Amino acid sequence: MSFYTSAGEVQAVGGVSFDVKKGEILGIVGESGSGKSATMLSIMGLQGSNGKIKSGEIIFEDQDIKTLDIKKIRGKKISMIFQDPMTSLNPVLSIGYQLQESLRKHKWHGDIKARAIEMLEKVGIVPAEKRIKQYSHEFSGGQRQRIMIAMAMINNPDLLIADEPTTALDVTVQAQILKLMKDLQRGSNMSVILITHDLGVIAGAADRILVMYGGKIMEQGTRREIFYSTAHPYTKGLLKSVPNPDEPKKRLIPIEGQPPDLLNPPKGCPYVARCPQAMKVCLEHAPEVSKLSESHFYSCWKKDE
Amino acid sequence: MKNLLEVKNLKKYFDKFKAVDDVSFEIQKGETLGLVGESGCGKTTTGRTVIKLYEPDGGKIIFDGNDLTNLTPREMLPLRKKIQMIFQDPYASLNPRMTVGDIVKEPLIIHKFPKDERDDRVNKLLKLVGLNSEQAGRYPHEFSGGQRQRIGIARALAVEPELIICDEPISALDVSIQAQIVNMLEDLQKDLGLTYLFIAHDLSMVRHISTRVAVMYLGKIVEIASSEELYSRPLHPYTVSLLSSIPIPDPDKSDLRNPVALAGEIPSALNPPSGCSFHTRCPRAKPECKNLDVKLQEKIKNHFCACPFA
Repeated sequence: MSFYTSAGEVQAVGGVSFDVKKGEILGIVGESGSGKSATMLSIMGLQGSNGKIKSGEIIFEDQDIKTLDIKKIRGKKISMIFQDPMTSLNPVLSIGYQLQESLRKHKWHGDIKARAIEMLEKVGIVPAEKRIKQYSHEFSGGQRQRIMIAMAMINNPDLLIADEPTTALDVTVQAQILKLMKDLQRGSNMSVILITHDLGVIAGAADRILVMYGGKIMEQGTRREIFYSTAHPYTKGLLKSVPNPDEPKKRLIPIEGQPPDLLNPPKGCPYVARCPQAMKVCLEHAPEVSKLSESHFYSCWKKDE
Repeated sequence: MKNLLEVKNLKKYFDKFKAVDDVSFEIQKGETLGLVGESGCGKTTTGRTVIKLYEPDGGKIIFDGNDLTNLTPREMLPLRKKIQMIFQDPYASLNPRMTVGDIVKEPLIIHKFPKDERDDRVNKLLKLVGLNSEQAGRYPHEFSGGQRQRIGIARALAVEPELIICDEPISALDVSIQAQIVNMLEDLQKDLGLTYLFIAHDLSMVRHISTRVAVMYLGKIVEIASSEELYSRPLHPYTVSLLSSIPIPDPDKSDLRNPVALAGEIPSALNPPSGCSFHTRCPRAKPECKNLDVKLQEKIKNHFCACPFA
């Protein structure tokens, strides 16, 4: 998947394959420019007029998404919440109108107002009958994100994509929102893709984790595999660069260097310039995927004995 | 140890909005005081008032024995050399039309550094922050976020300050770059004997870098202690719930934990709750908290807390 910009073609995502199982929370962790958001926009058909999926396929419930009418799926079977709850709500429409909009569009069978009130109550915005008439400026940041969650879940989607849903929120509110998302997910058997750059958030919330860098998947596995049997040098570097709660004063071990320029991507492994274990082959050839268990894979030429 | 900065009963109101309300703390030479709290708690305003980017509405700011409180901008100029600032957003805090060399040189011009030594000094500063002198002719947009933050640090260091107010210096950076900048700030502190006021909301990074930590809520400091003491033995109910909400990058430890949930969000400082302003969200609130006049009290040696029941 590439974006065409005035500076040239940006290869945002290159050869990414993964699956999301029913009822699981898949965490995607990566830095800015790692391709995590671009991957999700492709799934939703929201890559924009300068974005193009050059190859690959997206299969949703056994069907190629290209053969389906994305407008019928978006907001109904797959929905999304974004980082910034301030700009994701329309300031001139009431919360109730915006909640009901998606029910109307997807022809909800039943009382749409009652459904909107039910969802607001579920996310803890009470008294819902009264608050449904209010506008976004009358809510705090955390409440707006709750409303976004209610809106995203109002049609009982099968897949919820949450792109940095708590990044703009304070820690105490972040803890509330993550708990709410987990509780709602458990109650509905919905699948969730949770995109974040915060290793703490992903350790607490995800069942499985993808680690992305420079538009490619570096490593994927269950959260215990990623944190306790880390295989890829990038994942190792990332885990070492945050303070260790048991030794808070210990000097940090950063990943040296800068992220790759996606206008001019490296030929081999995207991490080669910063990798302490880089070899000649890494410069020229993209590494193959190695399998460590049924769920644990990584892309690196260096094999641990 | 001697106090480099003393802030006494500092107040900064924006009309009725009490952004900083009766804040007192001191910073000793060579230490790092971490200032934490959620958005809107007044930590950034505190930093900006200390350096007199905002005029204080009450209280005193004493830097190295000089009372800054009522100085005019002209009188402040020589002292500004000693107190510099690093900003959160390395995209917005560098002039896009100036070359990196000119950005770092500007404070040298303002503070009348000898003309023939300026270029040399700029090159030395760029090297000090891990950039090279060939990059001096480039513009900010040619650099990544982490590199831009290095440029901002070089500019702050240009006039050899003693105190640096670091206002969320790493929150706009990627995880792998944050550690580079934090290590650099620690090295510079050691080599140049710097003192930091480190304002941030990332509680684990603050624990790592700070000697002492102050926790703010609705314009007031509610707890202040050494970093070790505060994180291992938090007393104020707000600090307790704040610390229990930090996400831990370790699945097993994360599962064992149960964050102390706070009801709702920070009330508006336009209309703060009466008494202890935390009583509306406090899990341990008692009826009398509504009318309490809370003050920081030394509960354990050098550990101050504003909750009388802690």
